[in-house]
Amino acid sequence: MRALDWVIVAVYLVYVLVDGVRRAKGTREIEGYFLANRSLPWWAVGLSVMATQLSAITLIGTTGQGATDGLRFVQFYFGLPLAMVILGVTLVPFLHGARVFTAYEYLERRFDARTRSLTSFLFLVARGMSCGTIIAAPAVVFSAIFGWSLLWGVALMGVPTVIYTMIGGVQAVTWVDVKQMALIVFALIAVMVTLLMQLPVAPDHALALAGAAGRLRAFDFSFDLTNDFTFWSGLVGGTFLMLSYFGTDQSQVQRYITAKSVDQARSSLLMSAYWKIPLQALVLLTGVLVFVFFVFQRPPLLFNPAAEQAVRAAEPAMYGVLDERYRTALRERETAAHAVAVEASAASLEAFRAREADVSAAREEALGLARRVTGTSAQDVNYVMPYFVLHFLPVGLIGIFVAAVLAAAMSSIAAELNSLATVTVIDFYRRWVRPEAPDAHYLLVSKAATGFWGLFACVVATFAATLGSLIVVVNRFGSFFYGSILGVFLLAMIPRARATGAFFGLIAGMAAVGVVNVGAPSVSWLWHNVIGAVTVVAVGLGLSVRRV
Amino acid sequence: MSDTPPQPDHDSRLFRRTLLSVMAMQVATLLLLWLLQIRYTR
Repeated sequence: MRALDWVIVAVYLVYVLVDGVRRAKGTREIEGYFLANRSLPWWAVGLSVMATQLSAITLIGTTGQGATDGLRFVQFYFGLPLAMVILGVTLVPFLHGARVFTAYEYLERRFDARTRSLTSFLFLVARGMSCGTIIAAPAVVFSAIFGWSLLWGVALMGVPTVIYTMIGGVQAVTWVDVKQMALIVFALIAVMVTLLMQLPVAPDHALALAGAAGRLRAFDFSFDLTNDFTFWSGLVGGTFLMLSYFGTDQSQVQRYITAKSVDQARSSLLMSAYWKIPLQALVLLTGVLVFVFFVFQRPPLLFNPAAEQAVRAAEPAMYGVLDERYRTALRERETAAHAVAVEASAASLEAFRAREADVSAAREEALGLARRVTGTSAQDVNYVMPYFVLHFLPVGLIGIFVAAVLAAAMSSIAAELNSLATVTVIDFYRRWVRPEAPDAHYLLVSKAATGFWGLFACVVATFAATLGSLIVVVNRFGSFFYGSILGVFLLAMIPRARATGAFFGLIAGMAAVGVVNVGAPSVSWLWHNVIGAVTVVAVGLGLSVRRV
Repeated sequence: MSDTPPQPDHDSRLFRRTLLSVMAMQVATLLLLWLLQIRYTR
Protein backbone atom coordinates (compact mmCIF):
# COMPACT_ATOMS: atom_id res chain seq x y z
CA MET A 1 0.00 0.00 0.00
CA ARG A 2 1.23 3.47 -0.95
CA ALA A 3 0.79 6.73 0.98
CA LEU A 4 -2.34 7.62 -1.03
CA ASP A 5 -4.00 4.34 -0.01
CA TRP A 6 -3.28 4.96 3.67
CA VAL A 7 -4.64 8.50 3.34
CA ILE A 8 -7.88 7.10 1.87
CA VAL A 9 -8.18 4.62 4.76
CA ALA A 10 -7.48 7.37 7.32
CA VAL A 11 -10.01 9.75 5.70
CA TYR A 12 -12.62 6.98 5.75
CA LEU A 13 -12.01 6.26 9.46
CA VAL A 14 -12.14 9.95 10.46
CA TYR A 15 -15.28 10.56 8.36
CA VAL A 16 -17.11 7.58 9.84
CA LEU A 17 -16.18 8.62 13.37
CA VAL A 18 -17.29 12.23 12.90
CA ASP A 19 -20.47 11.28 11.04
CA GLY A 20 -21.41 8.73 13.70
CA VAL A 21 -20.71 10.95 16.68
CA ARG A 22 -22.72 13.89 15.30
CA ARG A 23 -25.81 11.67 15.26
CA ALA A 24 -25.84 11.85 19.07
CA LYS A 25 -27.96 15.03 18.78
CA GLY A 26 -31.21 13.11 18.33
CA THR A 27 -30.60 10.53 21.04
CA ARG A 28 -31.42 12.15 24.36
CA GLU A 29 -34.03 9.55 25.32
CA ILE A 30 -33.74 5.80 25.33
CA GLU A 31 -36.32 5.47 22.51
CA GLY A 32 -34.19 7.78 20.37
CA TYR A 33 -30.97 6.01 21.31
CA PHE A 34 -32.21 2.49 20.53
CA LEU A 35 -35.03 3.05 18.01
CA ALA A 36 -34.40 6.53 16.51
CA ASN A 37 -37.94 7.36 17.73
CA ARG A 38 -39.17 4.99 14.97
CA SER A 39 -38.58 7.70 12.41
CA LEU A 40 -36.14 6.29 9.84
CA PRO A 41 -37.00 6.06 6.11
CA TRP A 42 -37.32 2.57 4.59
CA TRP A 43 -34.41 2.93 2.16
CA ALA A 44 -31.95 3.84 4.95
CA VAL A 45 -33.22 0.94 7.05
CA GLY A 46 -32.96 -1.39 4.03
CA LEU A 47 -29.36 -0.39 3.36
CA SER A 48 -28.60 -0.82 7.07
CA VAL A 49 -30.12 -4.33 7.01
CA MET A 50 -27.89 -5.21 4.06
CA ALA A 51 -24.77 -3.62 5.56
CA THR A 52 -25.28 -5.46 8.85
CA GLN A 53 -25.44 -8.82 7.08
CA LEU A 54 -22.49 -8.08 4.83
CA SER A 55 -19.33 -8.52 6.91
CA ALA A 56 -15.66 -8.19 6.04
CA ILE A 57 -15.54 -11.91 5.43
CA THR A 58 -18.17 -11.46 2.69
CA LEU A 59 -15.77 -9.16 0.86
CA ILE A 60 -12.57 -11.10 1.31
CA GLY A 61 -13.79 -14.65 2.06
CA THR A 62 -16.69 -14.89 -0.39
CA THR A 63 -14.63 -13.48 -3.25
CA GLY A 64 -11.94 -16.01 -2.33
CA GLN A 65 -14.61 -18.71 -2.35
CA GLY A 66 -15.64 -17.57 -5.83
CA ALA A 67 -12.01 -17.87 -6.98
CA THR A 68 -11.42 -21.31 -5.51
CA ASP A 69 -14.89 -22.90 -5.57
CA GLY A 70 -16.98 -20.90 -8.05
CA LEU A 71 -20.56 -19.69 -7.89
CA ARG A 72 -22.21 -22.57 -6.02
CA PHE A 73 -22.14 -20.68 -2.69
CA VAL A 74 -24.85 -18.38 -4.10
CA GLN A 75 -27.37 -21.21 -3.44
CA PHE A 76 -26.97 -20.47 0.28
CA TYR A 77 -29.04 -17.30 -0.30
CA PHE A 78 -31.86 -18.80 -2.37
CA GLY A 79 -34.18 -18.85 0.63
CA LEU A 80 -33.61 -15.20 1.53
CA PRO A 81 -36.20 -13.50 -0.74
CA LEU A 82 -38.84 -16.03 0.29
CA ALA A 83 -37.99 -15.51 3.97
CA MET A 84 -38.26 -11.73 3.58
CA VAL A 85 -41.68 -12.00 1.98
CA ILE A 86 -42.91 -14.36 4.72
CA LEU A 87 -41.55 -12.03 7.42
CA GLY A 88 -43.11 -9.04 5.69
CA VAL A 89 -46.61 -10.46 6.07
CA THR A 90 -46.15 -12.23 9.43
CA LEU A 91 -43.57 -11.18 12.04
CA VAL A 92 -42.88 -7.61 10.93
CA PRO A 93 -46.46 -6.38 11.58
CA PHE A 94 -46.40 -8.22 14.96
CA LEU A 95 -43.11 -6.74 16.12
CA HIS A 96 -43.51 -3.24 14.68
CA GLY A 97 -47.10 -2.97 15.85
CA ALA A 98 -46.28 -4.21 19.36
CA ARG A 99 -44.07 -1.11 19.89
CA VAL A 100 -41.37 -3.20 21.54
CA PHE A 101 -37.66 -2.42 21.89
CA THR A 102 -36.60 -6.03 21.43
CA ALA A 103 -38.05 -9.08 19.72
CA TYR A 104 -37.80 -10.97 23.01
CA GLU A 105 -39.87 -8.34 24.86
CA TYR A 106 -42.77 -9.41 22.66
CA LEU A 107 -42.36 -13.01 23.87
CA GLU A 108 -43.17 -11.95 27.46
CA ARG A 109 -46.34 -10.22 26.27
CA ARG A 110 -47.34 -13.33 24.37
CA PHE A 111 -46.00 -16.03 26.73
CA ASP A 112 -44.08 -15.35 29.94
CA ALA A 113 -40.94 -13.80 31.44
CA ARG A 114 -38.89 -17.02 31.49
CA THR A 115 -39.30 -17.57 27.71
CA ARG A 116 -38.26 -13.96 27.13
CA SER A 117 -35.25 -14.23 29.44
CA LEU A 118 -34.05 -17.55 28.01
CA THR A 119 -34.21 -16.38 24.37
CA SER A 120 -32.57 -13.04 25.16
CA PHE A 121 -29.84 -14.79 27.18
CA LEU A 122 -29.13 -17.13 24.26
CA PHE A 123 -28.94 -14.10 21.97
CA LEU A 124 -26.47 -12.32 24.27
CA VAL A 125 -24.13 -15.32 24.51
CA ALA A 126 -24.18 -16.12 20.78
CA ARG A 127 -24.03 -12.57 19.48
CA GLY A 128 -21.40 -11.48 22.03
CA MET A 129 -19.14 -14.27 20.85
CA SER A 130 -19.93 -13.88 17.15
CA CYS A 131 -19.22 -10.13 17.37
CA GLY A 132 -15.73 -11.09 18.50
CA THR A 133 -15.27 -13.45 15.56
CA ILE A 134 -16.51 -10.77 13.13
CA ILE A 135 -13.63 -8.57 14.32
CA ALA A 136 -11.16 -11.45 14.52
CA ALA A 137 -11.51 -12.81 10.99
CA PRO A 138 -10.39 -9.66 9.09
CA ALA A 139 -7.92 -8.76 11.87
CA VAL A 140 -6.14 -12.09 11.31
CA VAL A 141 -5.94 -11.41 7.56
CA PHE A 142 -4.67 -7.85 8.12
CA SER A 143 -2.03 -9.05 10.57
CA ALA A 144 -0.83 -11.72 8.10
CA ILE A 145 -0.62 -9.45 5.04
CA PHE A 146 0.61 -6.23 6.70
CA GLY A 147 2.70 -7.89 9.42
CA TRP A 148 0.78 -6.02 12.14
CA SER A 149 0.20 -7.38 15.61
CA LEU A 150 -3.29 -8.82 15.94
CA LEU A 151 -4.18 -6.27 18.62
CA TRP A 152 -3.58 -3.43 16.17
CA GLY A 153 -5.99 -4.93 13.63
CA VAL A 154 -8.63 -5.50 16.33
CA ALA A 155 -8.21 -1.93 17.61
CA LEU A 156 -8.38 -0.40 14.12
CA MET A 157 -11.88 -1.81 13.60
CA GLY A 158 -13.09 -2.05 17.19
CA VAL A 159 -12.20 1.33 18.72
CA PRO A 160 -13.85 3.72 16.20
CA THR A 161 -16.92 1.48 15.95
CA VAL A 162 -17.38 1.33 19.71
CA ILE A 163 -16.98 5.12 19.99
CA TYR A 164 -19.56 6.09 17.37
CA THR A 165 -22.03 3.36 18.40
CA MET A 166 -21.73 4.29 22.07
CA ILE A 167 -22.24 8.00 21.47
CA GLY A 168 -24.61 8.04 18.50
CA GLY A 169 -26.80 4.98 19.17
CA VAL A 170 -28.96 3.49 16.42
CA GLN A 171 -29.02 6.76 14.43
CA ALA A 172 -25.25 6.53 14.07
CA VAL A 173 -25.39 2.83 13.23
CA THR A 174 -28.01 3.29 10.49
CA TRP A 175 -26.73 6.46 8.80
CA VAL A 176 -23.10 5.30 8.87
CA ASP A 177 -24.30 1.95 7.44
CA VAL A 178 -25.83 3.82 4.47
CA LYS A 179 -22.47 5.38 3.59
CA GLN A 180 -20.58 2.17 4.27
CA MET A 181 -22.89 0.21 1.97
CA ALA A 182 -22.35 2.76 -0.81
CA LEU A 183 -18.57 2.46 -0.35
CA ILE A 184 -18.70 -1.36 -0.42
CA VAL A 185 -20.75 -1.49 -3.65
CA PHE A 186 -18.53 1.14 -5.28
CA ALA A 187 -15.37 -0.79 -4.35
CA LEU A 188 -16.81 -4.06 -5.70
CA ILE A 189 -17.84 -2.53 -9.02
CA ALA A 190 -14.48 -0.75 -9.34
CA VAL A 191 -12.60 -4.02 -8.73
CA MET A 192 -14.81 -5.84 -11.25
CA VAL A 193 -14.20 -3.19 -13.94
CA THR A 194 -10.44 -3.17 -13.25
CA LEU A 195 -10.34 -6.96 -13.50
CA LEU A 196 -12.15 -6.96 -16.84
CA MET A 197 -9.74 -4.30 -18.15
CA GLN A 198 -6.65 -6.22 -17.01
CA LEU A 199 -7.66 -9.62 -18.41
CA PRO A 200 -5.67 -10.53 -21.53
CA VAL A 201 -8.65 -12.37 -23.04
CA ALA A 202 -12.15 -11.28 -24.04
CA PRO A 203 -14.91 -11.66 -21.38
CA ASP A 204 -16.48 -14.52 -23.38
CA HIS A 205 -13.22 -16.49 -23.31
CA ALA A 206 -12.70 -15.62 -19.64
CA LEU A 207 -16.11 -17.13 -18.88
CA ALA A 208 -15.29 -20.18 -21.02
CA LEU A 209 -12.14 -20.76 -18.93
CA ALA A 210 -14.07 -20.27 -15.67
CA GLY A 211 -16.78 -22.64 -16.91
CA ALA A 212 -14.24 -25.31 -17.95
CA ALA A 213 -12.76 -25.15 -14.43
CA GLY A 214 -16.24 -25.62 -12.92
CA ARG A 215 -16.36 -22.12 -11.47
CA LEU A 216 -19.71 -21.18 -13.11
CA ARG A 217 -21.71 -24.07 -11.69
CA ALA A 218 -24.29 -22.14 -9.65
CA PHE A 219 -26.95 -24.88 -9.32
CA ASP A 220 -26.65 -28.30 -7.72
CA PHE A 221 -30.05 -30.05 -7.65
CA SER A 222 -28.86 -33.17 -5.80
CA PHE A 223 -30.71 -33.84 -2.54
CA ASP A 224 -27.73 -34.42 -0.28
CA LEU A 225 -28.24 -33.62 3.41
CA THR A 226 -24.48 -33.62 4.02
CA ASN A 227 -23.76 -30.99 1.36
CA ASP A 228 -23.91 -27.38 2.61
CA PHE A 229 -24.50 -25.83 -0.78
CA THR A 230 -27.25 -27.40 -2.86
CA PHE A 231 -30.38 -25.87 -4.35
CA TRP A 232 -32.56 -27.65 -1.76
CA SER A 233 -30.45 -26.87 1.33
CA GLY A 234 -30.36 -23.23 0.21
CA LEU A 235 -34.07 -23.03 -0.51
CA VAL A 236 -35.42 -24.99 2.49
CA GLY A 237 -32.63 -24.75 5.11
CA GLY A 238 -31.75 -21.26 3.92
CA THR A 239 -35.35 -20.05 4.24
CA PHE A 240 -35.50 -21.25 7.85
CA LEU A 241 -32.08 -19.75 8.62
CA MET A 242 -33.02 -16.39 7.11
CA LEU A 243 -36.41 -16.45 8.87
CA SER A 244 -34.52 -16.97 12.14
CA TYR A 245 -31.88 -14.38 11.42
CA PHE A 246 -34.09 -11.59 10.08
CA GLY A 247 -37.15 -12.41 12.15
CA THR A 248 -35.77 -13.19 15.60
CA ASP A 249 -32.20 -11.92 15.84
CA GLN A 250 -32.23 -8.55 17.56
CA SER A 251 -29.30 -7.27 15.46
CA GLN A 252 -31.65 -7.42 12.45
CA VAL A 253 -35.02 -6.85 14.12
CA GLN A 254 -33.73 -3.61 15.63
CA ARG A 255 -32.97 -2.30 12.15
CA TYR A 256 -36.53 -2.51 10.84
CA ILE A 257 -38.45 -1.58 13.99
CA THR A 258 -36.80 1.84 13.65
CA ALA A 259 -38.81 2.38 10.43
CA LYS A 260 -41.64 4.94 10.34
CA SER A 261 -44.44 2.42 9.74
CA VAL A 262 -45.15 -1.27 9.19
CA ASP A 263 -45.19 -0.74 5.42
CA GLN A 264 -41.82 1.02 5.57
CA ALA A 265 -40.39 -1.78 7.72
CA ARG A 266 -41.63 -4.36 5.18
CA SER A 267 -40.26 -2.35 2.28
CA SER A 268 -36.83 -2.18 3.95
CA LEU A 269 -36.75 -5.99 4.15
CA LEU A 270 -37.93 -6.31 0.55
CA MET A 271 -35.12 -3.99 -0.50
CA SER A 272 -32.67 -6.46 0.99
CA ALA A 273 -34.54 -9.33 -0.72
CA TYR A 274 -34.31 -7.46 -4.03
CA TRP A 275 -30.54 -7.00 -3.95
CA LYS A 276 -29.16 -9.90 -1.92
CA ILE A 277 -28.82 -12.63 -4.58
CA PRO A 278 -27.61 -10.24 -7.33
CA LEU A 279 -25.10 -8.72 -4.88
CA GLN A 280 -23.80 -12.11 -3.73
CA ALA A 281 -23.59 -13.24 -7.36
CA LEU A 282 -21.56 -10.09 -8.11
CA VAL A 283 -19.21 -10.80 -5.17
CA LEU A 284 -18.73 -14.43 -6.27
CA LEU A 285 -18.36 -13.48 -9.93
CA THR A 286 -15.60 -11.03 -8.92
CA GLY A 287 -13.86 -13.99 -7.30
CA VAL A 288 -14.37 -16.10 -10.44
CA LEU A 289 -12.72 -13.36 -12.52
CA VAL A 290 -9.84 -13.27 -10.02
CA PHE A 291 -9.41 -17.00 -10.74
CA VAL A 292 -9.25 -16.29 -14.50
CA PHE A 293 -6.85 -13.41 -13.85
CA PHE A 294 -4.49 -15.77 -12.02
CA VAL A 295 -4.54 -18.13 -15.00
CA PHE A 296 -2.44 -15.47 -16.78
CA GLN A 297 -0.44 -14.27 -13.77
CA ARG A 298 1.76 -16.22 -11.36
CA PRO A 299 -0.14 -16.68 -8.09
CA PRO A 300 1.78 -17.91 -5.03
CA LEU A 301 1.60 -21.55 -4.00
CA LEU A 302 0.14 -20.48 -0.65
CA PHE A 303 -1.77 -17.20 -0.44
CA ASN A 304 -1.35 -16.82 3.34
CA PRO A 305 2.11 -15.21 3.67
CA ALA A 306 2.50 -16.26 7.31
CA ALA A 307 1.80 -19.92 6.44
CA GLU A 308 4.11 -19.74 3.43
CA GLN A 309 6.98 -18.42 5.55
CA ALA A 310 6.41 -21.11 8.16
CA VAL A 311 6.46 -23.90 5.54
CA ARG A 312 9.52 -22.45 3.77
CA ALA A 313 11.37 -22.37 7.11
CA ALA A 314 10.29 -25.82 8.33
CA GLU A 315 10.33 -27.84 5.07
CA PRO A 316 12.51 -25.93 2.57
CA ALA A 317 13.32 -28.94 0.35
CA MET A 318 9.79 -30.28 0.12
CA TYR A 319 8.41 -26.78 -0.43
CA GLY A 320 10.95 -26.19 -3.23
CA VAL A 321 9.93 -29.37 -5.06
CA LEU A 322 6.23 -28.56 -4.74
CA ASP A 323 6.77 -24.96 -5.83
CA GLU A 324 8.67 -26.09 -8.95
CA ARG A 325 5.89 -28.54 -9.83
CA TYR A 326 3.33 -25.78 -9.28
CA ARG A 327 5.23 -23.34 -11.54
CA THR A 328 5.38 -25.92 -14.33
CA ALA A 329 1.67 -26.66 -13.98
CA LEU A 330 0.88 -22.92 -14.05
CA ARG A 331 2.89 -22.42 -17.27
CA GLU A 332 1.14 -25.34 -18.94
CA ARG A 333 -2.27 -24.09 -17.78
CA GLU A 334 -1.55 -20.63 -19.19
CA THR A 335 -0.55 -22.14 -22.56
CA ALA A 336 -3.76 -24.20 -22.59
CA ALA A 337 -5.75 -21.04 -21.72
CA HIS A 338 -4.28 -19.14 -24.65
CA ALA A 339 -5.28 -22.06 -26.89
CA VAL A 340 -8.87 -21.67 -25.61
CA ALA A 341 -8.70 -17.95 -26.44
CA VAL A 342 -7.72 -18.82 -30.01
CA GLU A 343 -10.43 -21.45 -30.39
CA ALA A 344 -12.76 -22.51 -27.57
CA SER A 345 -13.20 -26.07 -28.89
CA ALA A 346 -14.08 -29.13 -26.80
CA ALA A 347 -10.47 -30.38 -27.13
CA SER A 348 -8.86 -27.09 -26.02
CA LEU A 349 -11.26 -26.82 -23.07
CA GLU A 350 -10.52 -30.42 -22.06
CA ALA A 351 -6.77 -29.73 -22.20
CA PHE A 352 -7.25 -26.63 -20.05
CA ARG A 353 -9.32 -28.64 -17.55
CA ALA A 354 -6.56 -31.25 -17.25
CA ARG A 355 -3.87 -28.59 -16.62
CA GLU A 356 -6.14 -26.90 -14.06
CA ALA A 357 -6.38 -30.25 -12.24
CA ASP A 358 -2.55 -30.37 -12.06
CA VAL A 359 -2.44 -26.87 -10.55
CA SER A 360 -5.14 -27.77 -8.01
CA ALA A 361 -3.33 -30.99 -7.04
CA ALA A 362 -0.08 -29.12 -6.34
CA ARG A 363 -1.99 -26.53 -4.28
CA GLU A 364 -3.80 -29.24 -2.28
CA GLU A 365 -0.47 -30.87 -1.41
CA ALA A 366 0.97 -27.52 -0.33
CA LEU A 367 -2.08 -26.83 1.84
CA GLY A 368 -1.68 -30.27 3.44
CA LEU A 369 1.99 -29.51 4.12
CA ALA A 370 1.07 -26.15 5.66
CA ARG A 371 -1.52 -27.89 7.83
CA ARG A 372 1.12 -30.29 9.15
CA VAL A 373 3.68 -27.53 9.76
CA THR A 374 1.42 -24.89 11.35
CA GLY A 375 -0.94 -27.31 13.12
CA THR A 376 -3.95 -25.21 12.07
CA SER A 377 -6.40 -25.21 9.17
CA ALA A 378 -4.35 -24.17 6.18
CA GLN A 379 -7.28 -23.12 3.97
CA ASP A 380 -6.22 -19.80 2.47
CA VAL A 381 -9.50 -18.78 0.81
CA ASN A 382 -9.54 -15.55 2.86
CA TYR A 383 -6.12 -14.53 1.49
CA VAL A 384 -6.78 -14.83 -2.26
CA MET A 385 -8.57 -11.48 -2.64
CA PRO A 386 -6.17 -9.51 -0.38
CA TYR A 387 -3.23 -10.89 -2.44
CA PHE A 388 -4.88 -9.78 -5.68
CA VAL A 389 -5.83 -6.35 -4.28
CA LEU A 390 -2.39 -5.56 -2.87
CA HIS A 391 -0.39 -6.81 -5.86
CA PHE A 392 -2.51 -5.95 -8.89
CA LEU A 393 -4.93 -3.10 -8.18
CA PRO A 394 -3.83 0.47 -9.00
CA VAL A 395 -2.83 2.89 -6.26
CA GLY A 396 -5.90 4.53 -4.76
CA LEU A 397 -8.18 1.60 -5.51
CA ILE A 398 -6.23 -0.47 -2.98
CA GLY A 399 -7.06 2.11 -0.30
CA ILE A 400 -10.71 2.15 -1.38
CA PHE A 401 -10.93 -1.65 -1.15
CA VAL A 402 -9.26 -1.79 2.28
CA ALA A 403 -11.62 0.98 3.47
CA ALA A 404 -14.55 -1.07 2.09
CA VAL A 405 -13.37 -4.14 4.05
CA LEU A 406 -13.19 -2.00 7.20
CA ALA A 407 -16.66 -0.59 6.38
CA ALA A 408 -18.12 -4.08 5.99
CA ALA A 409 -16.66 -5.16 9.33
CA MET A 410 -17.63 -1.98 11.17
CA SER A 411 -21.24 -1.96 9.92
CA SER A 412 -21.79 -5.48 11.25
CA ILE A 413 -19.99 -4.81 14.55
CA ALA A 414 -21.92 -1.56 15.17
CA ALA A 415 -25.32 -3.20 14.64
CA GLU A 416 -24.39 -6.09 16.91
CA LEU A 417 -23.08 -3.82 19.70
CA ASN A 418 -26.21 -1.68 19.50
CA SER A 419 -28.49 -4.73 19.70
CA LEU A 420 -26.46 -6.36 22.49
CA ALA A 421 -26.76 -3.17 24.55
CA THR A 422 -30.52 -2.98 23.84
CA VAL A 423 -31.15 -6.55 25.01
CA THR A 424 -28.92 -6.07 28.08
CA VAL A 425 -30.74 -2.92 29.16
CA ILE A 426 -34.33 -3.67 28.09
CA ASP A 427 -34.57 -7.43 28.71
CA PHE A 428 -32.39 -7.67 31.79
CA TYR A 429 -31.53 -4.37 33.50
CA ARG A 430 -34.93 -2.67 33.14
CA ARG A 431 -36.85 -5.95 33.48
CA TRP A 432 -35.10 -7.47 36.48
CA VAL A 433 -32.73 -4.97 38.12
CA ARG A 434 -34.30 -1.50 37.97
CA PRO A 435 -37.79 -1.37 36.43
CA GLU A 436 -38.39 2.30 37.32
CA ALA A 437 -35.77 4.94 36.62
CA PRO A 438 -35.46 8.24 34.75
CA ASP A 439 -34.71 8.04 31.03
CA ALA A 440 -31.33 9.72 31.60
CA HIS A 441 -30.32 6.84 33.85
CA TYR A 442 -31.23 4.19 31.25
CA LEU A 443 -29.42 6.18 28.59
CA LEU A 444 -26.26 6.22 30.69
CA VAL A 445 -26.53 2.48 31.36
CA SER A 446 -27.14 1.87 27.62
CA LYS A 447 -23.94 3.69 26.66
CA ALA A 448 -22.02 1.79 29.34
CA ALA A 449 -23.50 -1.50 28.03
CA THR A 450 -22.41 -0.63 24.47
CA GLY A 451 -18.90 0.07 25.75
CA PHE A 452 -18.86 -3.16 27.75
CA TRP A 453 -19.92 -5.30 24.77
CA GLY A 454 -17.37 -3.52 22.58
CA LEU A 455 -14.62 -4.38 25.02
CA PHE A 456 -15.93 -7.94 25.36
CA ALA A 457 -15.97 -8.40 21.57
CA CYS A 458 -12.40 -7.08 21.23
CA VAL A 459 -11.16 -9.46 23.95
CA VAL A 460 -12.98 -12.41 22.31
CA ALA A 461 -11.46 -11.33 18.96
CA THR A 462 -7.92 -11.61 20.31
CA PHE A 463 -8.62 -15.08 21.73
CA ALA A 464 -10.68 -16.25 18.72
CA ALA A 465 -7.74 -15.57 16.46
CA THR A 466 -5.26 -17.54 18.54
CA LEU A 467 -7.60 -20.44 19.32
CA GLY A 468 -8.44 -20.86 15.65
CA SER A 469 -11.29 -23.31 15.96
CA LEU A 470 -13.31 -20.98 18.19
CA ILE A 471 -14.99 -19.50 15.13
CA VAL A 472 -16.27 -22.96 14.22
CA VAL A 473 -17.41 -23.53 17.80
CA VAL A 474 -19.30 -20.22 17.84
CA ASN A 475 -21.05 -21.00 14.54
CA ARG A 476 -22.02 -24.47 15.71
CA PHE A 477 -23.21 -23.08 19.03
CA GLY A 478 -25.41 -20.58 17.17
CA SER A 479 -26.91 -23.28 14.97
CA PHE A 480 -27.99 -25.15 18.13
CA PHE A 481 -30.74 -22.66 18.90
CA TYR A 482 -31.25 -20.40 15.89
CA GLY A 483 -34.05 -22.57 14.47
CA SER A 484 -35.46 -23.19 17.95
CA ILE A 485 -35.88 -19.47 18.63
CA LEU A 486 -37.65 -19.17 15.28
CA GLY A 487 -39.95 -21.99 16.45
CA VAL A 488 -40.91 -19.96 19.55
CA PHE A 489 -41.84 -16.96 17.39
CA LEU A 490 -43.86 -19.22 15.08
CA LEU A 491 -45.68 -20.54 18.15
CA ALA A 492 -46.38 -16.95 19.19
CA MET A 493 -48.46 -16.53 16.05
CA ILE A 494 -50.58 -19.61 16.78
CA PRO A 495 -53.44 -18.54 19.09
CA ARG A 496 -53.73 -21.83 21.00
CA ALA A 497 -50.02 -21.99 21.93
CA ARG A 498 -49.32 -21.45 25.62
CA ALA A 499 -46.34 -20.28 27.69
CA THR A 500 -45.35 -23.71 29.05
CA GLY A 501 -45.42 -25.15 25.53
CA ALA A 502 -43.19 -22.34 24.28
CA PHE A 503 -40.62 -22.68 27.07
CA PHE A 504 -40.31 -26.48 27.01
CA GLY A 505 -40.67 -26.53 23.23
CA LEU A 506 -37.61 -24.25 23.04
CA ILE A 507 -35.60 -26.62 25.23
CA ALA A 508 -36.83 -29.64 23.21
CA GLY A 509 -35.83 -27.91 19.94
CA MET A 510 -32.29 -27.28 21.16
CA ALA A 511 -32.07 -30.85 22.47
CA ALA A 512 -33.24 -32.24 19.09
CA VAL A 513 -30.53 -30.26 17.27
CA GLY A 514 -28.01 -31.51 19.84
CA VAL A 515 -29.05 -35.13 19.23
CA VAL A 516 -28.74 -34.69 15.43
CA ASN A 517 -25.39 -32.99 15.91
CA VAL A 518 -24.04 -35.94 17.90
CA GLY A 519 -25.91 -38.80 16.16
CA ALA A 520 -25.58 -37.57 12.56
CA PRO A 521 -22.73 -35.06 12.50
CA SER A 522 -22.54 -35.17 8.70
CA VAL A 523 -25.98 -33.53 8.33
CA SER A 524 -25.38 -29.99 7.09
CA TRP A 525 -25.89 -27.30 9.74
CA LEU A 526 -28.39 -25.54 7.45
CA TRP A 527 -30.86 -28.36 8.20
CA HIS A 528 -30.44 -27.79 11.97
CA ASN A 529 -32.60 -24.70 11.64
CA VAL A 530 -35.42 -26.72 10.10
CA ILE A 531 -35.14 -29.47 12.75
CA GLY A 532 -35.07 -26.95 15.63
CA ALA A 533 -38.04 -24.89 14.42
CA VAL A 534 -40.24 -27.89 13.58
CA THR A 535 -39.51 -29.59 16.94
CA VAL A 536 -40.35 -26.44 18.93
CA VAL A 537 -43.66 -25.99 17.11
CA ALA A 538 -44.60 -29.68 17.44
CA VAL A 539 -43.64 -30.03 21.13
CA GLY A 540 -44.95 -26.56 21.98
CA LEU A 541 -48.35 -27.27 20.44
CA GLY A 542 -48.48 -30.73 22.05
CA LEU A 543 -47.87 -29.30 25.52
CA SER A 544 -50.31 -26.46 24.89
CA VAL A 545 -53.07 -28.92 24.03
CA ARG A 546 -52.47 -30.87 27.25
CA ARG A 547 -52.80 -27.71 29.31
CA VAL A 548 -56.10 -26.88 27.62
CA MET B 1 -51.00 -6.89 28.56
CA SER B 2 -52.78 -8.28 25.53
CA ASP B 3 -52.17 -11.66 23.94
CA THR B 4 -53.71 -10.48 20.69
CA PRO B 5 -51.16 -9.44 18.12
CA PRO B 6 -51.83 -6.34 16.02
CA GLN B 7 -53.53 -7.02 12.69
CA PRO B 8 -51.19 -6.96 9.69
CA ASP B 9 -51.91 -4.33 7.09
CA HIS B 10 -52.72 -6.23 3.88
CA ASP B 11 -53.91 -3.48 1.64
CA SER B 12 -50.74 -1.75 0.61
CA ARG B 13 -50.48 -1.54 -3.16
CA LEU B 14 -46.93 -0.31 -2.79
CA PHE B 15 -46.04 -3.47 -0.90
CA ARG B 16 -47.54 -5.67 -3.62
CA ARG B 17 -45.78 -3.74 -6.38
CA THR B 18 -42.46 -4.01 -4.55
CA LEU B 19 -43.12 -7.69 -4.00
CA LEU B 20 -43.64 -8.25 -7.71
CA SER B 21 -40.45 -6.39 -8.61
CA VAL B 22 -38.52 -8.42 -5.98
CA MET B 23 -39.75 -11.66 -7.50
CA ALA B 24 -39.00 -10.45 -11.04
CA MET B 25 -35.46 -9.53 -9.99
CA GLN B 26 -34.87 -12.95 -8.41
CA VAL B 27 -36.20 -14.79 -11.47
CA ALA B 28 -34.02 -12.64 -13.77
CA THR B 29 -30.89 -13.27 -11.63
CA LEU B 30 -31.48 -17.01 -11.36
CA LEU B 31 -32.14 -17.20 -15.09
CA LEU B 32 -28.89 -15.34 -15.78
CA LEU B 33 -26.93 -17.69 -13.48
CA TRP B 34 -28.60 -20.69 -15.14
CA LEU B 35 -27.71 -19.40 -18.60
CA LEU B 36 -24.09 -18.84 -17.48
CA GLN B 37 -23.96 -22.41 -16.22
CA ILE B 38 -25.43 -24.12 -19.28
CA ARG B 39 -23.56 -21.88 -21.76
CA TYR B 40 -20.08 -22.23 -20.26
CA THR B 41 -20.01 -25.38 -18.11
CA ARG B 42 -19.40 -28.17 -20.58
